[in-house]
Amino acid sequence: MSRQERPDDDGSRRISRRSYLAAVGASTTAFAAGCTGDGGTDTINVITWNDFAQDPVVNSVEENLDVNVEITTSTSSTEMFTRLNEGDDFDIAVPNNNLVPRFLSADLIEPVDMDVVSNYGDIYEKFRSFVDQQFTQDGDAFGVPIRWGWYGYAYNTDEVPDHDPSYRIMFEEDYVDTDLDSQIVMYDEAAKTMPVAALYLAEARDDPSYEEALTQDDRMTFTEQQIQDMRDLLIDQKPRLEGYISSDTTFIQEFQQGSFLVGHSGRNEIVRLQENQGVENVEFVVPQEGAMAWYETAVVASASDNVETAWEVVNEYISPGTGAELARAGKSPSCNPNVADELNETEQELYGRIDPQRIERFIPFKDIDPDVADAYNNAWEEVKS
Amino acid sequence: MAAPDRDESLRATLVGALSSDRTGLGVTALPGAVWIALLLLAPLAFMTAVSFVTRDPLTYQIVWEPSLENYRDLFVGGTTEYSLGPVGFQATAFEQAMLLSYAIATVATVLCLVLAFPLAYAMTRLGDRAFKVTIYLVLLPFFTMYLVRAYSWRLMFGGSGVLNQALGAVGVGPVGLFEYGVPAIIVGLTHAYFPYMLITLYASLDGLDFSLVEAARDLGASRVDVVKDHIVPLALPGIIGGSLFVFVPSVGAFITPQILGLGTVQMIGILIERRAIGAASNAPAAGAASVIVVLTIVVALLVVFRYVDLDELGGA
Repeated sequence: MSRQERPDDDGSRRISRRSYLAAVGASTTAFAAGCTGDGGTDTINVITWNDFAQDPVVNSVEENLDVNVEITTSTSSTEMFTRLNEGDDFDIAVPNNNLVPRFLSADLIEPVDMDVVSNYGDIYEKFRSFVDQQFTQDGDAFGVPIRWGWYGYAYNTDEVPDHDPSYRIMFEEDYVDTDLDSQIVMYDEAAKTMPVAALYLAEARDDPSYEEALTQDDRMTFTEQQIQDMRDLLIDQKPRLEGYISSDTTFIQEFQQGSFLVGHSGRNEIVRLQENQGVENVEFVVPQEGAMAWYETAVVASASDNVETAWEVVNEYISPGTGAELARAGKSPSCNPNVADELNETEQELYGRIDPQRIERFIPFKDIDPDVADAYNNAWEEVKS
Repeated sequence: MAAPDRDESLRATLVGALSSDRTGLGVTALPGAVWIALLLLAPLAFMTAVSFVTRDPLTYQIVWEPSLENYRDLFVGGTTEYSLGPVGFQATAFEQAMLLSYAIATVATVLCLVLAFPLAYAMTRLGDRAFKVTIYLVLLPFFTMYLVRAYSWRLMFGGSGVLNQALGAVGVGPVGLFEYGVPAIIVGLTHAYFPYMLITLYASLDGLDFSLVEAARDLGASRVDVVKDHIVPLALPGIIGGSLFVFVPSVGAFITPQILGLGTVQMIGILIERRAIGAASNAPAAGAASVIVVLTIVVALLVVFRYVDLDELGGA
C-alpha cells in the first residue's frame, strides 16, 4: 500500500498531506495554464503612461493584432529608464523624447524596424526630423513618436487681465496689474522648469545663446555660467510661488481650488480642465519667448524576445484607430495627423490635426549634456533647497 | 510501542537543548536576528557599498570602482550663503537639506513633547473609563492612512486652504504662515508622530511614585518646582524615548514634506529620493547622502545612550 493512500480507522480513505499538496500543485498549475493559455499568442509587456492602460486603447490593439498587451503604468520617463536599465522584463517603453538618448547610450533599445512600423512615414515631418536629430545612429532611428503636446502657461481669467503672453508674468512683478506673490506654480521637474528660465533669459537679456543651448544639439548644452544664471533666476522667483507641482492631477485640483492664478502647464491639462471639469475661467497661452514640446516615443527593448511583435504594437499606437483612442484618453494629439480622421469635430478642435507651421514654433525637450549634468542637477537641487 | 518512545525521546532532547541558556537565547533571538540581517543590515551594507562607487554619466550604469567622489560632492562646491549663528559658509544643497531636516525635526519633537506631556500626566490621574475615552479620542485619527491624514492637512493649508479662507472671512487673512511650506510640514509631522510621544510618556509617567509629588508639595515646593525638580527628572527616560520616536522618523520624513511643502521645501528624504529615482538617477550619490544621515542619527543615539539606559526608555 502506498504511503499516500492509508485507510483510516473508520474505514474512510483520507488523502495524505503529500498527496494533497501534490494535487493542489497540479491543479493550480493546470488552472494557471488554462487561464494564461493563449494558443501561441505573444504577450507584449509595456511600461508606459496610464492612458495606454485604458480599456479602449488596450482592446483596440488586441483586436487589431493577435497579441496580449500587459501594461505597467508609470508616471515618469526616468522610472521607465531605470527599470529597463535594471533588467526588468519589458518589450516596450514609451518615455518622453528627452530620455530616449539615455536609453540609446545605455544600449537598451533596438533600431526601428521600418518594414513593420508602416505608419512611420505618416507622422508629421517635424517629428521625424526631431528623431533624426535626437536619437538616430548610423541612419537607424531608435524610437517612434506617438503623441505630443506643448507647454506654456495657464492663468485664471477672472483675476489676471489679458496680456501679451510672456514668461515675464512668472518672473517680473509688474508685468500684469495683479498681485501674483504666492500665486504662481511651476513644475517640480528640472527638465520642464529650467528651459522656461532659459527662454526667459534669452529674451530678457537679448542673448540667444540660452535658446541655442536648447535647440542646436541633440542635448541641452548650457554652459555652467548659464546654468548658474537659470538657478539664480529660479531662486529669486521662489517668493512668488505657491509651490512646485509634480502631477497634472495636482495642477487641476489646485487650480479648481483657487490655490494659484498663473501656472506653468501643459496644454492637455487645460483641455482636461475645460472638457472634463467644465472650468471656463482658464486660458492657456504659448509665450512669445517660445514653448517646449514633448512627444512620447515608443522604444523596443533589446532584451525583448518579441521584437517584431513589439514593433507591430508600436505601429498600432500610431494607426488611425488606436491612435484616436490614445488621443481621447490623454487629450493629446497623435504624432500621426491621419489619426484626426477618426475623431469627431469637437475632438479635432481639442486634439486633432495641427498646422505643421505651428509645430515649427515648438522646441523639443532634451536631456542634459553629460558634461554639465552634475552642475545642472546641483543647480536644481539648490533651487529646491 | 516504538512511536511514543521516539516522541518522548525527541521531546526530552528538545527540552534539554532549550534548557541551556545559550540554545534558548539562540532559538528566541534567531528569527529577529535573521529579520534584522536580511531586511536591515544587508540593505544597509549594500547602500554603503554603492555609496563608494560612481555612476557613468552617459550610460547611467554603476561603475564598480571605489571612489570618495560622492562624499566629496556632498560637502564641496556649495554656492548658497548660509549661516549658523555667527558661522557663515557656502552650503551645498545636501548641507541645506540636512540642516533644514534637523531643524524641522527638532521643532516637531519639542512641539510633540510640549503637547503630549500635560496630556500624558493627566491620563495617569484619570479613572479607567476616562482614560479609555481619552486614549480612543487621541488615537481615532490614526485609524486612517498616514497619506490620507497628510492630504487632509493639505486642505487646511495653502493660500485658499480652510485656515486662510476662515481668516479671510473674518477679515484677517490670508496669512503667509498658513501657506504650504515649513510651518505646514511641522504641523503635519507633529500630528503624525504625536501618539508615539504620548504613549511613551504615559508609560514613563504611569510608573511614577506620586507620593513623592505629594511629599514635595507638603514640604512647600511650588507646582512648577515639583514638575521641574521631580516629575521631569523621573520621566526623563520617557521624554528621551518619546523624543527619539518622533525625531528620527521626522528627520527622514518624505511624504509629509512632499505633500505639505508643495515642492518648496527640500528635506533630506526628498533630496535622496530625487537622487535615487528622480531625473538624476544617481543611486551612488543618493547612497552617500543616506549613509551620512544614518551616521548622524547613530551618533545622536550614542550620545543619548551615554546618559540613559536602553531598558529605561520604555518607562520609569
